[in-house]
Amino acid sequence: MNGSMILATIGVVLGATGTYILLPHSRGDVKSRNNYILGGVLAGLGLIGFLLLLTPPDVSPNPAPADFSSLGMMITGACFYLFAAGAIGTAVMTVTSRNPVYSALWFTGVIVSTAGLFLLIDAQFLAAGTVIVYAGAIIVTFLFVIMLAQMEGKAVYDRAAKTPGRAVFTSFLLLWSLMYCLAVVPGSHRPPTAGANDPLEDRLRRGRELAEYYRGKGPIETKLVLERALRPTSSLFFDGDHQKPKPNVAGLGEALYADHLLTVEMAGAILFAALIAAVLIANPKPLRPVDAPTEA
Amino acid sequence: MIDLFTSQLLTNYLLVGAALFALGMLGFISRRNMIVMFLSAEMMLQGVALSLVAFGRYHGNWTGQIFTIVILTVAACEASIAMALIVILYNRRSSLDVTLWQDVREPGLEPSDLAEEAAEAAPLEPVAGPESYPHLTPAGVEPAHPMKPWTERRS
Repeated sequence: MNGSMILATIGVVLGATGTYILLPHSRGDVKSRNNYILGGVLAGLGLIGFLLLLTPPDVSPNPAPADFSSLGMMITGACFYLFAAGAIGTAVMTVTSRNPVYSALWFTGVIVSTAGLFLLIDAQFLAAGTVIVYAGAIIVTFLFVIMLAQMEGKAVYDRAAKTPGRAVFTSFLLLWSLMYCLAVVPGSHRPPTAGANDPLEDRLRRGRELAEYYRGKGPIETKLVLERALRPTSSLFFDGDHQKPKPNVAGLGEALYADHLLTVEMAGAILFAALIAAVLIANPKPLRPVDAPTEA
Repeated sequence: MIDLFTSQLLTNYLLVGAALFALGMLGFISRRNMIVMFLSAEMMLQGVALSLVAFGRYHGNWTGQIFTIVILTVAACEASIAMALIVILYNRRSSLDVTLWQDVREPGLEPSDLAEEAAEAAPLEPVAGPESYPHLTPAGVEPAHPMKPWTERRS
């Protein structure tokens, strides 16, 4: 039982207690303001514990003589912590808000923070697409339905939660298990080591490195699979060189329309089917007339 | 030539994605408003998308981002169908409470005690505290105040 394990346990327990206090009562009783303050403080402490568990990303593997890279890494790390804390904090607020309008608005905070995290790992197209699709379309639809269906303000079922204790226990047990697998037991699912003095020894293996290692060693099926895996359109970088990244939208479009064309067709078909289904379901025509005799 | 996106960074992203997934699961289990439940499901999808993009960046290919685009598509479809279902259900029961839909269960299963919990829940009257809303006077009804109405005050 090492330090990060204890830290993870304390953070999860604090966050679970704070979230349980912030959640609505199971009978819909009103909670006092002191309860909200206590729950917020506990959940914030749990969030700080969670952030302490994350590895600071400014550990440069090859310290460059120029300090530009380390400064850039520091800014990147600060942005990462900001977006991670924003995503998790607004997620807690989304789940625990009594008013569904506030829930939808906090959920846009989750979306914006996730888009920032996407930007940090060079997925600019997905960052823009997430914000457009979620915050621009889905949230507006949800808000329309909320205003359509909840005109008289706060209802009983918004002030009451279904079995909050058991739900908090289950969810945070899942979170603790995932944190245990990810942070405390790093690299427990590594493939067999390639050589004794391998420079990739203490790292999780990347797909292309594994493919390069096994190239030309296996049967013909392995070679076929490796040929597909090493296709130049599927790589994030030109020639597999990490110093030469492809432009994001161009590379993503190339991979999407060269390797995954059937995926695009399937996505279009699913969207079309969902459109027709939504129109059919939301048809205001009644299913059968009320006073018509039902046939056996 | 070592990629700067180390496995520690990958672990960071996976942890944030796991936290989003667990919080979305908490909302989906514990909330009773159907719209909040669907928002929590979208939050779980966001956590999975974050993990996928981080894995794709770590392995140096586009597969994670392409799968995230598929997730976006499915989430949009799910939101549209969920909205249509919610409108239909609201038209029948005039409520978004998911515990009122016990008769959607499979035949032969006993309803759980959630319906009784819904019946036992606190009444809708505003209670003093941070959650109570002010009551506005309904439109068209004369408010009970001692002043003269404005039509008489003008003359």
